[in-house]
Amino acid sequence: MHVPDTLTAMLNLLLAPLSEDFFLRAVIAILLCGVTAACLGTYIIVRRMAFISTALTHSILPGVVGAALLGLSLYLGALVAALLTAAGVAWLSNRKGSSEDSAIGVMLSVMFALGIALMSVSRAWRDFTGLLFGSIVSVGTEDLVMIAITSLVVLLALRVLHKELELGSFDEEYAYLIGARPQLLRAVLLILIACAAVTCVRLVGALLTTALFVIPAATGIRLGKTLAQVMAWSTGCAITGGLAGLYLSYYVAGMPSGAAIVLCCATPYFLVRARKNS
Amino acid sequence: MSRLTAHWHQMISNACFGLLPAIPYAPTDDAACQGVAINAHNLAVAPAPGSPLAFSGANFEIPCGCRTALIGANGSGKSTLLRALAGLTPIASGEVKVLGAKPSLGRSRIAYLAQKPSFNQDAPLLLRRLVQMGTYSHHGWFEECEHGDEAVDRALSRLGLLELSERSVHTLSGGQLQRGLLARATVQGAELLLLDEPFAALDQTSREIVESFLFNPDNSFTVVMATHDPADSQRFDRILELKNGQLTTVHACAGHTHRHA
Repeated sequence: MHVPDTLTAMLNLLLAPLSEDFFLRAVIAILLCGVTAACLGTYIIVRRMAFISTALTHSILPGVVGAALLGLSLYLGALVAALLTAAGVAWLSNRKGSSEDSAIGVMLSVMFALGIALMSVSRAWRDFTGLLFGSIVSVGTEDLVMIAITSLVVLLALRVLHKELELGSFDEEYAYLIGARPQLLRAVLLILIACAAVTCVRLVGALLTTALFVIPAATGIRLGKTLAQVMAWSTGCAITGGLAGLYLSYYVAGMPSGAAIVLCCATPYFLVRARKNS
Repeated sequence: MSRLTAHWHQMISNACFGLLPAIPYAPTDDAACQGVAINAHNLAVAPAPGSPLAFSGANFEIPCGCRTALIGANGSGKSTLLRALAGLTPIASGEVKVLGAKPSLGRSRIAYLAQKPSFNQDAPLLLRRLVQMGTYSHHGWFEECEHGDEAVDRALSRLGLLELSERSVHTLSGGQLQRGLLARATVQGAELLLLDEPFAALDQTSREIVESFLFNPDNSFTVVMATHDPADSQRFDRILELKNGQLTTVHACAGHTHRHA
């Protein structure tokens, strides 16, 4: 077989889907969400907040269902639900004799159960699987604008607060001593996670959104030596994994896009873990 | 491969982190400690809110530039006193002034080193960046600090860390980390060092470096150090002892300045 022929064939495989509008929108969505989720995810991993980010992404469910029933914006509903969860966790864990760990566990299951109950009782919700497992191919132009705005806001916030967030992640006590208010920073980070999670739900669904935050960053932290390097590596992993998953679901019949994206993101993680023997 | 990633990283950091104007690093020299560094009247502190008092009725005074040892058995309240002076633990009753103000208002003028660093040790952080964090307190919100390099280099070399500066923090030994935190306190321009058993994790080399740093007469800072080792005590100007919930000044030098040459 001639090498140029194989190359052209491969290029065709890669380029052919791009001529379809829905695929192009999906690619743009992955690029935007990949960068946002990877950069935020770096802080989530460094601060060991993986569990609370899982809770936030799962708790979006009742918000989305409730907003759909009331005819409001789905993003607004999801954001309110995520913020309620964050506030609930903060309130519960500040009370005596209740650890943050158990507070998160309680809020996660309560909100998720509430979402399922709302969905079943109303019977008005048709796109169950899309909400739970994501449907990136149905991303519309409106969604794309929403994703772009959210990504921009989150990335800008991460940029201007880089020094404070870095300090708060490494040494909360020192941050407190020099007057940087680590609790406030933590709250800001939770709000940013909630915002970003809402956009990622479109891609991989409420159940798997946390994977986009956690897996690329968990890979990046094995490869980078500074926060910026970790972010760069995570972004690379998130985008590569996301695009690979998208193509996989395009070419393999019946493969759901959300699951494919998560599986492709996880591949470099396992490779890195195996190689570094750690 | 590594050169390529370094290049890529450089490009990304230039693109992302050069957006806001940098503000030159300037530690405050004008507010140097004069007179009395710490002044306590009838001080009582509990390790945590609601728990029994660690000590009560403590009266003491520490002049500026004085090297003070804080001795006492395990659980006698040394750490609690240091945390209260740093503003990390609220005082139960009495009054204490640190550098002329409430402890929590000390900000960049006070540095506190815990016995075990509270520090997230697997975080991706180079030693240089850790030391550079000392400049943060001289910046406002939203400002990035990629400067203060000279001060960072000076602090690193004073504590014998220059060749380790590009190492990840989690690859350092306990003693090297402790020295790194001291370097951060120097960059920060701290006038008062509150050290909780800093020698506990140190090997001989680290210990010598830290001792010559702390007892160097050129350094004008005030030191309050919790220690177990009675052999340490001779080097200090002032010794406070915590025993059975009471604090007594065992030994106090006459002059206010450091007397060791």
